[in-house]
Amino acid sequence: MRVRTVVLLVNLALMIGLGCGYLWWGREARRLARQVAAVETGEREYTADGIIRAVLPELRVLVVTHPEIPGYMPPMTMGFRVSTSLRTIEVGDTVRFTARGTPPNMTVVAVDKKTP
Amino acid sequence: MFARWANLASGIGLVGACTLLLVAGRSEGRTASGWEAGVLGWSRALVLLAFASGLVALGAQTAFLEGHPASALQPAAILRVLLETQGGAMWLVRQALLLLLAAFLVARANVEEGADWRAARSESAALAIAALVPLAGAGHAAASEPGTAIAIVIDLAHLAAAGLWIGGLPALAALLRAAAHDRGADARPYAVRAVRRFSRLALASVGVLVATGIPGALRFVPTVGGLVGTRYGRLLLVKLALVLPILVLAWLNRRRLLPALAGDDPTAGSPVMRRLAGLVLVEALLGLLILAVVAAMSLTLPALHEQPVWPFGFRFSSAALLAAPDGRNRVLIGSSITVLGAVLALCALRLRASRVSVAASAAAVAALGLGVALPPLAIDAYPTTYVRPPIPYDVASIASGERLFQQHCAPCHGLGSAREGPAARGLPRSPADLLAPPTRAHTAGDLFWWTTIGFPRNGMPGFGDRLSDEERWDVVNFLRALGVSRGARTLPARLGVERPWLAAPDFVFGVGPMQRTLGEYRGQRTVLLVLYTLPGSQARLAGLAAEHNTLTRFGLEIIAVPTDAAPDALRRFGAAVRILYPIVTEGAADIVTAYRQFTDAPHTEFLIDGQGYFRTRWTSNEPGRDVEQLLVDVRRLAAEGAITVTPPAH
Repeated sequence: MRVRTVVLLVNLALMIGLGCGYLWWGREARRLARQVAAVETGEREYTADGIIRAVLPELRVLVVTHPEIPGYMPPMTMGFRVSTSLRTIEVGDTVRFTARGTPPNMTVVAVDKKTP
Repeated sequence: MFARWANLASGIGLVGACTLLLVAGRSEGRTASGWEAGVLGWSRALVLLAFASGLVALGAQTAFLEGHPASALQPAAILRVLLETQGGAMWLVRQALLLLLAAFLVARANVEEGADWRAARSESAALAIAALVPLAGAGHAAASEPGTAIAIVIDLAHLAAAGLWIGGLPALAALLRAAAHDRGADARPYAVRAVRRFSRLALASVGVLVATGIPGALRFVPTVGGLVGTRYGRLLLVKLALVLPILVLAWLNRRRLLPALAGDDPTAGSPVMRRLAGLVLVEALLGLLILAVVAAMSLTLPALHEQPVWPFGFRFSSAALLAAPDGRNRVLIGSSITVLGAVLALCALRLRASRVSVAASAAAVAALGLGVALPPLAIDAYPTTYVRPPIPYDVASIASGERLFQQHCAPCHGLGSAREGPAARGLPRSPADLLAPPTRAHTAGDLFWWTTIGFPRNGMPGFGDRLSDEERWDVVNFLRALGVSRGARTLPARLGVERPWLAAPDFVFGVGPMQRTLGEYRGQRTVLLVLYTLPGSQARLAGLAAEHNTLTRFGLEIIAVPTDAAPDALRRFGAAVRILYPIVTEGAADIVTAYRQFTDAPHTEFLIDGQGYFRTRWTSNEPGRDVEQLLVDVRRLAAEGAITVTPPAH
């Protein structure tokens, strides 16, 4: 076999190897992305600590400043719809709350005041 | 170290040898063919050396990672390194490429036809260069962030250019030596053609080496302190000191000896060729020394991550002119003379006649200019002058530093704007005015040295035996804040055209259970830091709350800190005032202590840009500032982007 043919075949093999590796890498990345997406869909429940910033009983909304809720939300101040009683909750209260639903439609189903 | 050097040198040598064969072209005649066979044999030996040194380097790396020397010979430990580390993966790729290259070099293939010869030599050169990729992918460049990919590409280009130039020198010297001999006269035209082509390639390689070497050096040795004060920096200086003579030799060979080879006549230029062979060999030996230094650098912590120890008792800084403004004229005159020297040097490059004498004059003029300009810029320096503070410049450190200052320093230095305390009486000289500009001009390392060792001639004691390292850095951070306190109070209330210069100390703040830092907003949002006092600030805070949505839309975050650091700050507003931006309930005390260096007013608003610099300061003692004006400033900052370097966190 001529040398130039050998060189051509070797380079072709290297390129095919690189291409297959690249495709395998991409397929793995897509598979992992699908797994993550599958985990992220469906109804979920999160419990977190927070501090009450505003209570809007007429809208049944509670505005809470909370730390990062792993897998759901970074630290922020945010309004949540509430399905539980708001009568004893006041601005400045430190609470532990539970939100349930399919993101982004989450509803706070429990709010417990923490003792200062 | 030896294995690293051998691995690097063999890789570089392979690139050079394989490329030189390609550049020189197909050999004709007995001597040239013999030389080509010799270079192929030399390449085979280099592959063997690269493979063997790679094995030794892998063993050494395994022993280092596993923590005991015996691991170097344990298959399980070696397998772990190969399969679980990036260095191991790179090693496998490199050895595979070397095996492929060895197969091409060892196989006795028929390359009689031109196309076959070109294919074989091109493939060898390409594989030799490809085998350098894993070296770049396992070095310091691969560990640097951000911009890892760019750093690896730059490193690879640097290695490849070094290979094309330095790696080709031994083979070139062998060709010239063979052709210079009477028995090798038949190869002289071939040697002359090869050396001319190589010279063009080497010139381009030097350009690439300079273009890739500068960003690489700046990445790992970003300061003068790092250059002369760390092992890595000093190795870089040794490397540059070796590069200089090699460049001079290369330039002399190209300008003087290459034209003297004079054409393709078989009898031409034999003595010149012999001399050229000798000088090329000297270049190659210097190149080997450089590679030894590079191997040592690859095993040394980059200056970026090492604390520099400044070796001189002085340094040059424009800060010297703050204390002695009379020197300004001298610096101006001296720098003008230096520029004249530089212009003369440029002229020397363009001249054909009297080049040496003009260049010597240029050097003399430049030296004279530096001799005039530099002395007024010299100020005292200490081993710690360029040390980076290990404690971040944040409010916790500043507040701790203030407490220590009050306890240990205020008796002499006084408190607040007072320059002297009660214990200052009887000292040989008045204590330094810590609010004066020279304090600001010194490095944190200078302040650390004085705090540690003291200032014996002024009667200031050292605190190295009374305060821990951390405590002394806290005092230094407080002094840094104190040093800029006067300047901070002159910050404008409206955004002007001034360049940002004053970094806002970082802090951790809590709003209930949520904890964040000011630093998290860098590169993300502009911050309006409000130090407020109730009840006077209530109306202003409510006004900001009313426009909060609009201000947020333009990238502003408001952080309000109660000056009394009340933990129930939120309750105090009650339900009537709806404020949804962060009101700090945790960490307010340190923030107020540190930021009190920059304001005395009961209500102050600092606008901090996306890079972490103070841009405006408005206090309730000044005329009212409506939210519309604030919005204009915020929009301008949003459109401005990064206009200077981001301040370091330390």
